[in-house]
Amino acid sequence: MDFKELMEKFGGKLDAQAKWDDCVVVSREYLHNVVAFLKDDPSCKMDMLVDIAGVDYLTYPNHEGPRFAISYAFKSLKHPGLRLRLKVLVSESDLKVPTISDLYANANWYEREVFDQFGIVFTGHPDLRRLLNHVEFVGHPLRKDYPAQKRQWLSTNDYLLPELEKRLEALGYWIVKRSKEVETKDNEFLEGSVKE
Amino acid sequence: MTDEAQKPSIITSSLDFLVNWGRTNSLWPFPYGTACCAIEFMSTEVGRYDLSRIGSEYVRFTPRQSDVLLVAGTITYKQAPILKRIYEQMAEPRWVIAMGACACSGGFYDCYCTVPGIDHIIPVDVYIGGCPSRPEAFFDAMFDLQKKIKDESYMKQRAGRVRDQLEMIKAKTAEAKAAAKDFAQEKVELAKEFVSEKEQELVKKAQFWKE
Repeated sequence: MDFKELMEKFGGKLDAQAKWDDCVVVSREYLHNVVAFLKDDPSCKMDMLVDIAGVDYLTYPNHEGPRFAISYAFKSLKHPGLRLRLKVLVSESDLKVPTISDLYANANWYEREVFDQFGIVFTGHPDLRRLLNHVEFVGHPLRKDYPAQKRQWLSTNDYLLPELEKRLEALGYWIVKRSKEVETKDNEFLEGSVKE
Repeated sequence: MTDEAQKPSIITSSLDFLVNWGRTNSLWPFPYGTACCAIEFMSTEVGRYDLSRIGSEYVRFTPRQSDVLLVAGTITYKQAPILKRIYEQMAEPRWVIAMGACACSGGFYDCYCTVPGIDHIIPVDVYIGGCPSRPEAFFDAMFDLQKKIKDESYMKQRAGRVRDQLEMIKAKTAEAKAAAKDFAQEKVELAKEFVSEKEQELVKKAQFWKE
């Protein structure tokens, strides 16, 4: 398959630098429609989203154009061996891409990871938080201008029990006793063990 | 009391010996396994190598019941406060073994997310090299730890602890006394001001009536 329809309908361009696979560059306005087309069209039926990756072209040799790119890898389970990569270029001043997590459920965490490591905002994402780095992390570590050895300490645990309780409640469970975060004191033994 | 406890006598030294004998031969590890070193620890624990030969057959998965915190694997910054909290939950006496290159120094993860050695967070007694370390190396570390425990003196530690607590209580009482003194002084000054104001008012009134 040569993805002619993709290029005619949505204005995609074949990436000349991709040597090993088919890579189509689309603009972000058409991205959601392109992915929906790829997923549903009987000629391709890309029903597996393999990966979403962010690219930072800051120190890339002979690169012209926007600084960031997001690369979506698709695979078809119906047509054996059919794979495709989509690439969306975004400039640093406007780091926004529409989400595809309503089409592919696993895109949720992929997009969270890309947001975490590159700072690219996916508009319409249901829960865009950091995935790999901790909550107090400042900056986006996989950008080329982040110093690779710069370490950042986390002061407390991520306290996730209230969220867990919320989810259990949504599933129909009944919570008898809500958990409270325990704050440790340094000289607790001076205060005695019996408390009212 | 502290001086008497520090002097070695027949009773204290034999008590030390007894306590150390008990501690050396029942070291219960808490496996904090995050990577391949934990797999290696599993093979140390079971069948062929059999860690229970030196008395640590019980792997306790709660920090309240274990003596040795065994950190086997990479510790990231997201995990660091959890490890610290688990160490703080362990009852004294407690020892820490850093197993493998990652736990000792961060290994080859020289990057933004990995703690360069767990001794940035908690004190470590024994380091084991290797990536991952062999079960023999782990046994060696356990023997080292046993030697270290045999040198410890329970009575001395207890005396030190009591001394620390006494000093802390003294400092706290001194602080409280100073605070109470300041408070009383403030109150006295306030009362004085109040009295002087009243006096002035009375004087003014007397002058007014005189006129």
